[in-house]
Amino acid sequence: MQVALEPFLRAHAAQQGWGIADALSPIAPHDNPGRLYEFYRSTNEHQVENEVRNALKYNNNSRLAPKEAAAWTEIFVGYWRAIGEILRAEEASNQGRLRDRQLVDVYEAWKELTNQIVRQISNGNLPPWSLICMYHTANYLRMFAIKADEQLAKVKSNVAFSSGFQDDIVSTVARNEKLEETARILNKMFSLCLGDRNPDMGSSRKWGTYYMANLQFKTYFKLKNISLSRNIVRTIAVQTDLPPFEQFPTAHRVTYKYYVGVIAFLQEDYSKAETCLTEAWDHCLPESTRNQELILTYLIPCRLITKHNIPSQTLLSSYPHLQRIFGPLVTCIKSGDLSGFDNALAAAEDEFVKRRIYLTLERGRDIALRNLLRKVFLAGGYEELKEGQTEANRVRKTRIPLAHFATAFRMGTGGEGSGQSLEDDEVECMLANMIYKGLMKGYISREYQMVVLNKKGAFPGTGV
Amino acid sequence: MQAHPAYTAVSARTTLARPAEKPKKVEWPEPVKAYVRRAFDPENEIAGISHADMQVKLKHIISGFAEWQMHDQIDWPTYPLPQVLLAQERRNGVALPLLTNGPGYVNNLQPAYVTPFNGSNDSSTHSPNSSKRKSQNMEDEQPAASATVPPWRKTNLEDRITFGNGSKSKRQKKSDMAATSKLDKADLEKRKQRFGLAPTTPPWSSDRNGSDSDLPTGPVVGTNLSLEKSYFRLTAPPKAETVRPEHVLKKTLDLLRKKWRTEKNYNYICNQFKSLRQDLTVQHIKNAFTVSVYETHARIALEKGDLGEYNQCQTQLKALYAQGLAGHPAEFLAYRILYFVYTCNKTDMNDLLAELTTADKTQESVRHALDVRSSLALGNYHKFFKLYLSAPNMGAYMMDMFIERERLHALANISRAYQSVALRFLTDELGFEHDNECRQFLEDHEAKGLVEEKPDGKDRVRIKEGAAAFEGARSQAFSKVDLKGQI
Repeated sequence: MQVALEPFLRAHAAQQGWGIADALSPIAPHDNPGRLYEFYRSTNEHQVENEVRNALKYNNNSRLAPKEAAAWTEIFVGYWRAIGEILRAEEASNQGRLRDRQLVDVYEAWKELTNQIVRQISNGNLPPWSLICMYHTANYLRMFAIKADEQLAKVKSNVAFSSGFQDDIVSTVARNEKLEETARILNKMFSLCLGDRNPDMGSSRKWGTYYMANLQFKTYFKLKNISLSRNIVRTIAVQTDLPPFEQFPTAHRVTYKYYVGVIAFLQEDYSKAETCLTEAWDHCLPESTRNQELILTYLIPCRLITKHNIPSQTLLSSYPHLQRIFGPLVTCIKSGDLSGFDNALAAAEDEFVKRRIYLTLERGRDIALRNLLRKVFLAGGYEELKEGQTEANRVRKTRIPLAHFATAFRMGTGGEGSGQSLEDDEVECMLANMIYKGLMKGYISREYQMVVLNKKGAFPGTGV
Repeated sequence: MQAHPAYTAVSARTTLARPAEKPKKVEWPEPVKAYVRRAFDPENEIAGISHADMQVKLKHIISGFAEWQMHDQIDWPTYPLPQVLLAQERRNGVALPLLTNGPGYVNNLQPAYVTPFNGSNDSSTHSPNSSKRKSQNMEDEQPAASATVPPWRKTNLEDRITFGNGSKSKRQKKSDMAATSKLDKADLEKRKQRFGLAPTTPPWSSDRNGSDSDLPTGPVVGTNLSLEKSYFRLTAPPKAETVRPEHVLKKTLDLLRKKWRTEKNYNYICNQFKSLRQDLTVQHIKNAFTVSVYETHARIALEKGDLGEYNQCQTQLKALYAQGLAGHPAEFLAYRILYFVYTCNKTDMNDLLAELTTADKTQESVRHALDVRSSLALGNYHKFFKLYLSAPNMGAYMMDMFIERERLHALANISRAYQSVALRFLTDELGFEHDNECRQFLEDHEAKGLVEEKPDGKDRVRIKEGAAAFEGARSQAFSKVDLKGQI
């Protein structure tokens, strides 16, 4: 036990939260893959409490105050038990005989540990820099909960008879029972951080606010309960005594802004989403490509809506995954290839739907269409030169027969696999949409079967 | 008699009122003990009163009087035994007022963890640090409780019937079980209901998780043969004689279908369907017939635009289809898609799209619903109204929910893109069946003067002038989406 707790004591003496978090990790370090086994085997259920207590009491590295020593004793006993469950589950799974609820047991044991840490922190028994180990434990709790729910989902059917006096035949069973419980625990931690009244900011738990908020976002997104995420954003927004946002660790800020951006995106508040995501993008570390990719996944559709912007090839080329899913779309938008756009959208539909950007990207078709119509306009050429006009100020033909647009449409959608045949009325309808959305200026004249475009700025923002 | 234990400490905040309110007893008085012994004496048994019921009653009596500090006022040697009281009650059909409504009622109001047999003592010793110890309190109490009451007696009724008869022979047990038939129990329940004893479980057996829905309630087997039955919300376990068995319910469904076709009385039909659904539920009938009941009710509700009831059915159907029961999953999947088009709920729509399989998408009705969705997403109102007119099944009823809204949207669109159009063009584009319908619609939306009558009947609409009005009406129509009984 003495040996097993050595890293903890060293980290504690040096006041390194990270070291302590490592000492409480459910995963053995790379350089010592047997650490968990050794630790677990060093004692037994009967003696663990005494041994941990003694190890913490009689050591040369650190003198723990009695109250703190008691707190760490409880935590390490909880940790020891959780490790026991983890090792048992690991062993059983290696031998292919995982019991039905074994991963749930792991989760429950880890939950005990988490609750223990929360309790000790809220009682003020631990030093402020140990907040980091709460983060870590909480994050692992989330992972164990997800695994436990997966196992539970396999074991029991997700529909049960409603008991009690319900009128209807089935009651929906919580499919993510454990993760939902985790969400409640995380929320408790979040309040614990946010609600710290310690006036000394240096040792305040408020510094954990954004980290815990981010963990909650992750959990709620997994639970598909995004409205609860909005509550967190609101709670933080009305909080007046938080330290300035810029002073929080960059990692916390970037993740937070990312989630706030995504939440706004899902609420179709694209301008707010753009601001937040851009902020996240600006502060994201150059080497964390995965995170950049995530940010871009939402920022690209966002800019498509707000600014009708498409990402440059240079940008996309640095992210192979994004290149694969967005590349074809972007090309088709640029060239006004409608059926190409439809096909590209359909091809990556699963990925888009999973990321919840499908319905937004779909609107990019308008831009593709605009580009197609603009080409018709450009192809129409110029009016005859009149007296006093020069090449420089020639006027384009602004009266364009509907038939021209209809032809362009058919070319645009004629591609393979579109299965669309547009009627003339439908072409008119799409043109009306363009005008209504302000992507094209002008009006349709049915009597003359003409579209009369504005002489100036027929396609706003495109230079013509 | 009343031995007050010494208090270790009294927390000022949490237990201020408690000590005065609760007499502390280390031990039950001797006469009470004798009374209990007599109650358990096999010689005093009465046929028809089960051991379990007797115990419940006994606890009721003792704890009841303890609550009122009346133990020393009662003449225990002559006080009627619980089984006698029970027998009396059952004969009279009335519970004795003092014992049930009096102390018993007070009991029920107490926090569940303060069990009458041991609670007083324990809660006071634990109370000083109660705020942090809430969860631990219960665990700590458990062993103390078992000193007086064995744990198996503290669990609920069902458990007691099986395990609580330790001292009795098997034969007796059997006869007890037979004697307390379902009917008796049901009657008793009803009686308790009548006397306003809200929780039907005695306080000491109430499970800590709270709700009574956790009690194992086995399926009822119905015996009622009438085809029609009004719906009442259940507040107690149903009685067999009020529940109709499946073969009767099948006839009921046929009858209701017929009645709906001929009479179209929605209130009556809806009520009948609700009781039908309830009977299915309490009997745990979950098969193709169940599906057809929910499908029929959903369709009728849809026809009447009763989205609340429709949604309840839809939720159930989704779960039933997931069980692989027959029915029309594609049809109802299509309704769900259309419903999310109606609610403009992008998140739900996205989740739904994520669930769709390739097989789903080949179904005609699903295909149609997806086309409706995409046509609206792309603003292709021309296609949308064509789809409206060709909706399979009852899709058009669902689309009726948002057809006006989309007409306004299309009008706002057209009014910005055209100067003036033929009325016939609008009639066609907006999916009206007749010019007059279209004219009426325009007039209903502040576009009265816009229609120009022409002698040749080719009326025109100065649509551009209505642009502002249509835009206003459009945004108003989109701002209020009534969400009843969300899926």
